[in-house]
Amino acid sequence: MTHRFAARRRSVLLAGAGLAASTAWPGLTRASGEPIRIALLTSLSGPFSGLGESMRAGLQLLLAQSNQEMGGRPIQLLVEDDQGKPDEAVRKVRKLVGQDKADIILGVISAAVALAIRDIVTESRTLTFIANAAANALAREAASPYIFRTTKTSWMLAHPAALWVHENVATRGGITLASDYAAGREYVADFEDTYRQQGGTLGKQFWTPLGTTDFAPLLMNVAALKPEFIYAFFPGADAVRFLKQMQDFRLRDSIRLIGPGALFDQEDVIPAVGAAALGGFNAFHQSPGAPASQAFVQAYQQARQRLPGEASTAGYATGQVIRSGIEAVGGDLSRKEAFKAALLAEPVATAFGPMRFDPRNNQAILDIYLNEVKPGPDGKPLNTVIKTYPGVQDPGPGNARP
Amino acid sequence: MAYIVVQILNALSFSVLLLLTGLGLSLVLSLMNFVNLTHGSFFLLGSYIGVQWMASGAPWWMAFPAAFVLTGLVGALLDRYPFRQFYPRTHLMQVLLTYGLSVVFADLMRWGFGADTLSPMLPDLLQGVVFVMGFPFPVYRLFLIATGGSLALVLWWAIEHTLWGAAIRACVIDRGIVETLGINTRRLLTVGVVLAAALGGLGGALGAGMLSAYPGLDEEVLLLALLVVVVGGLGSFTGTVLSALLIGFVTTFARMWLPEFANFLTLGMMALVLMVCPNGLLGRETRQL
Amino acid sequence: MTSRAWISATGVDTAPGRRAGGWRWLCLAALLCGVLAVFGDDYQLRFAAEILLVGTAVMSLNVLVGFAGLVSLGHGAVFGAAAYGAAIASQHWGSDLLLMLPVGVLCGMALAALMALVSYRSSGLFFLVLTLVVGQMAWEVVFRWREVTGGADGLRGYPALTVAGLPASHPLALFALALALAVASGWALRTFVRAPVGHAVQGMRDQPLRMRALGFHLGRLRLQTFLVTGAVAGAAGSIYPFVNQYIGPNAVHWSMSATLVIMSVLGGIATLAGGFVGAALYLVAQTQLSSWTDRWQLLIGMLFVLTVIFVPHGIVPALRRRFTS
Repeated sequence: MTHRFAARRRSVLLAGAGLAASTAWPGLTRASGEPIRIALLTSLSGPFSGLGESMRAGLQLLLAQSNQEMGGRPIQLLVEDDQGKPDEAVRKVRKLVGQDKADIILGVISAAVALAIRDIVTESRTLTFIANAAANALAREAASPYIFRTTKTSWMLAHPAALWVHENVATRGGITLASDYAAGREYVADFEDTYRQQGGTLGKQFWTPLGTTDFAPLLMNVAALKPEFIYAFFPGADAVRFLKQMQDFRLRDSIRLIGPGALFDQEDVIPAVGAAALGGFNAFHQSPGAPASQAFVQAYQQARQRLPGEASTAGYATGQVIRSGIEAVGGDLSRKEAFKAALLAEPVATAFGPMRFDPRNNQAILDIYLNEVKPGPDGKPLNTVIKTYPGVQDPGPGNARP
Repeated sequence: MAYIVVQILNALSFSVLLLLTGLGLSLVLSLMNFVNLTHGSFFLLGSYIGVQWMASGAPWWMAFPAAFVLTGLVGALLDRYPFRQFYPRTHLMQVLLTYGLSVVFADLMRWGFGADTLSPMLPDLLQGVVFVMGFPFPVYRLFLIATGGSLALVLWWAIEHTLWGAAIRACVIDRGIVETLGINTRRLLTVGVVLAAALGGLGGALGAGMLSAYPGLDEEVLLLALLVVVVGGLGSFTGTVLSALLIGFVTTFARMWLPEFANFLTLGMMALVLMVCPNGLLGRETRQL
Repeated sequence: MTSRAWISATGVDTAPGRRAGGWRWLCLAALLCGVLAVFGDDYQLRFAAEILLVGTAVMSLNVLVGFAGLVSLGHGAVFGAAAYGAAIASQHWGSDLLLMLPVGVLCGMALAALMALVSYRSSGLFFLVLTLVVGQMAWEVVFRWREVTGGADGLRGYPALTVAGLPASHPLALFALALALAVASGWALRTFVRAPVGHAVQGMRDQPLRMRALGFHLGRLRLQTFLVTGAVAGAAGSIYPFVNQYIGPNAVHWSMSATLVIMSVLGGIATLAGGFVGAALYLVAQTQLSSWTDRWQLLIGMLFVLTVIFVPHGIVPALRRRFTS
């Protein structure tokens, strides 16, 4: 027993000495040849596991294309599973920052996770790239100088959708139907704001809890109202069930359905629902037909035999952003301000198009596509761009909804 | 009027779905006193088998027997080891063992079938609608009501009106006496567990058309099934049927009128039932001697 | 199904701490904590604080399950409700420990009392399901009451912990507080278990009918156990949100309760120290394994299954048997 303690004390002492040495000589740890540790925090289990795996695949494709190195240094990819739970994520991020000494963190599918880790990465000054979570707060009151969001905010998707619906669908008689949690509430609220500003009037708002298995009772109520359109949002498996059950009750043919792109995600929803997605409209910063992402779409199809959706494109695009930042600082990640300045100075060429960042909140300014799900060249449903809203920019700090 | 009729049909189809999720668990828990928390995994496995089978182009109606047989096989393997040693153990130990196994199975299935949500490609026959008083109602839900209902009926008859059912029920009360009658109780219990697993898989294959198959479904189904079986009372298959109907109708009508609070109301109702009837709807009071 | 059917085969022991080697283990634990305090870095100290807090909650669950025979799947909700109570209170009245502790204890006791009252007449599997249902109702409230609890996003941005005005947000301070709480709770629970009421509670677990025949009021015993364990879990829960300055609805979900039960089984159900061992083992395995392999849930599940099959009484009793004679 004493032997065990001696060993433990020795190893702890050594670890302590090592830590002290590495902090005392920062130059040594930044020597070339030393790998850059990039950590992907994603959901590999739990409700968002499909999206999480897609994001990882997109990032791995980029790393493979870059020969596993950026800025002259090899890249060591650490992948951590947050299970879609913010508590888990917080623990993993602390480990990544405190124990694994990650240089850059990216990923984050769930908005709740993004908000939960915001304070930790800001305190530890770790460059973080949010690649999927859409929480408006991160571009407004919770913006952080160390967090870049290479993807959309809820507002950026709901706003153009409302503009388009008001112009092309109807100015009254529509309703909303969404999952009753933070993301659903945000999308609907932002849609409603813009729609009202345009002069439209919205009908009833329906909410249903996460994980609803049977939408039939609700759908009957909705059908009885005979709405002009439905603006809807459901995540993951709920989206699949909703679309299929709408199709089952023959409502897909008679009611126009619009939503944020996640409702009709090319990779994670459409393969599961098939024809039930046809005729749907969605506002998204990603589309398999978008000109900017063609090269990526082809490479992804070759690698995984499927069309990419948002998560995989975001993984790839975020990798591109990180690569351009690393190359701008010549592989020296201690120059964080220079890294950030490089990203803010010039738009980065990514699979989402040229990506500019708003200097107030490091939020990406993106082209938003209005997609319609039409039969593609092989007959399968495909998100086809029918209108583009270029350079949509989130209103930013000082615009938090009361 | 037509609206109410259709909503009643909706409630019925949801009740049958709940019953399907709880069938196997009811058999194994209610009648054999073995808490099997891997039931959700059997359901999910059956769903995946159903999806893969229908996607492969083989005759669609064989997907269900295939799911039945394959999950039954898995159940037989599990019975051999490690379930068998746990039949005489306490409920707590059974809960812990089967919960751990369900975590293992969930990961294996995620590894094997991927993380995507998968839906079965139903045949055209099942994809249509019938018009009920002017409202379109999916044929698949009617199919569910029909098959689920008949399964429940067959099971009820087997448990209440056959010697086999009587022997299984007797095993729980006093296994020793049943042995003295010359019945091989070990084989009986094995058959029971295998049948329960197979029913779980069959339920999954049938339910996949409504729920789709994805990692995490096993936990959701397990929770539903556990609530249905326990609220119905142990030792009685009819209790499970009753509680499935109760929960199905309450949930459906709650979703109709107060969709945001539907879950809360359903939970509250269940708590109320268990408070008023501490042994479930049709449970028998058990006494310690 | 009586509660006896639940517990008796786990071979529950008599009051803990009475065997000879008890003091050696205590010294070992103290040494470990000392080493950690001196040499541990921020991350390790914060992680250790989390383990201690969760371990305290598991220890209270051990008393509830192991000594009273009440297998509850709602204890996570008690812990989480206290955490939310403390976080919400800190937003209004500051985050001094002298306020947080009572708030947490009260919240924990309130929810535990509710569970005790609702499940008054239930036992066994029905009790399990009822506590699960009540816990989930609490989760629904937390998830839906967005204005107060932050809904799915949880709470963040509340003030950091202070003790009588002095800031206590440094990992070493958090670790020291968690350790002090663990020791205090351990002493409190030990006193409870060895007191006449504790013996009566164990009697209730083993022979409820006879206890009733002897004139004990089982409902009152249950309520007392729930209140005591709820208070301890509440105290642990009150510090929990300040370890990471974040609290989310997941802490109230039934999966949290299930995790607490797993930790308690790993460590040893009818022991007090088992809570910390189980919590440490589970949290360390979960955090470290996921870096090495995608299949970490498989490994944890297997670990758990193997424990249940081969070491069903948990690790602490097994260690005790091996190292003390």
